[in-house]
Amino acid sequence: MRIEILGTGCPKCQATEQIVRKALSELGLEAEVVHVNDPRKFAQYGVMLTPAVVIDGEVKTSGHVPSLEEIKRLLAG
Amino acid sequence: MTWWQIILSGFEALKEYIALHVLTCLIPAFLLAGAMVTFVSREAIVRYMGAATSKLRSFALAAGGSFFVAACSCTVIPVASGLYYGGAGVGPAFILLWVAPAANILALVYTGAILGGKMVATRVAAALLMAFVVGGTMSFAFRGEERTRAEKTNPAGQIAAQNAKVMNRSDLILLILLVLALLAPNYIVRGGPYWQKVIVWAIGMAAVFSYAFLAKTREEIRHWMRETWWFVRLIFPLLLAGVFVVGIIGALLPEAWVTKWLGGASLRSSFLATLIGAVSYFATMTEAPFVHKLIGLGMGAGPALALLLTGPGLSLPNWLAIARVFGVKKALVYVPTLIVLGTLVGWIAGNTVLR
Repeated sequence: MRIEILGTGCPKCQATEQIVRKALSELGLEAEVVHVNDPRKFAQYGVMLTPAVVIDGEVKTSGHVPSLEEIKRLLAG
Repeated sequence: MTWWQIILSGFEALKEYIALHVLTCLIPAFLLAGAMVTFVSREAIVRYMGAATSKLRSFALAAGGSFFVAACSCTVIPVASGLYYGGAGVGPAFILLWVAPAANILALVYTGAILGGKMVATRVAAALLMAFVVGGTMSFAFRGEERTRAEKTNPAGQIAAQNAKVMNRSDLILLILLVLALLAPNYIVRGGPYWQKVIVWAIGMAAVFSYAFLAKTREEIRHWMRETWWFVRLIFPLLLAGVFVVGIIGALLPEAWVTKWLGGASLRSSFLATLIGAVSYFATMTEAPFVHKLIGLGMGAGPALALLLTGPGLSLPNWLAIARVFGVKKALVYVPTLIVLGTLVGWIAGNTVLR
């Protein structure tokens, strides 16, 4: 699994990354987590509102820091 | 003046600020910002901007919609670039880039509480006017590039409105209540004692939360509080640091100096104020206490307006980010255009409406 976090390096984006990592470890999953901070790449995903979470090339959340439960639900689903 | 006295004046400013503004002004402002992020679909607003077909319509939508995208210059760059690379024109993208920080509702309401209604009205009018000129200039300067870009853009990948809904009625009522709760203490009790403000504030807050509990689900309210808390965490430390620095600057700057270089309504004062605003970084809302302090030291109303406009909208880090995302050439047209416009607007307003 490949998880991309789209954000400009703002505090909200850092928090999102932490939540994703925490969810992964709590679920015992392995994944590659990358932080994408080039706004031109955001546009390729059609994302305008950061932070956004992209799992395996699919945009799952955008515009807010997701909660731990939200991320767990997405990872499990 | 000893260094100790200088530090002390920083703390004095902080104390005064916390006592007067945190409860009646900042708490409602942060709640409003959180509510806008939660209940207004920024995604939908941006989609409408991108989908507009005629130039005038896209300019007007970009300028109007930007008021509701509460953001400082750092968070607005991805939104503007998303709009631009998603197929919208260069004009609307740069209008959003300018108006969202220079005239968003959060900053405007807060400016009103500190500097008064006339300054806010002028700030809105000036920001809109500048937005149209900037949008026009960018579209004109890059018209060749725009033509080839429009041909290359795949219509299927283009931003579509998709019947996106910006907000529903209960969201709107909640936002209006919040704006009223924010304005009421500072307008109804203008010169009155502080405890009267607190009473008006408490009534306003009670109305907001009663409505929220009636019309919103627990989950929505929790989401709203989470977003509000984010604003507090991000902006409040910057605001406190800003007020502290303002206190120190106020103690260090001789009044005669401020009156000489930033006083009156001359073209030079306006240009210097614009330059200060365009280079230095002001987080959303920090520009208001800064300008307030400078006015107290003798800054003219026109230069004050120029600084209010360019302060949050432009900064050196912001120029670099724009150059990186949109290209150096666009930054070289955008930034000087705004400096010229800011200077002119400050000068003209200082000699007419704000005299």
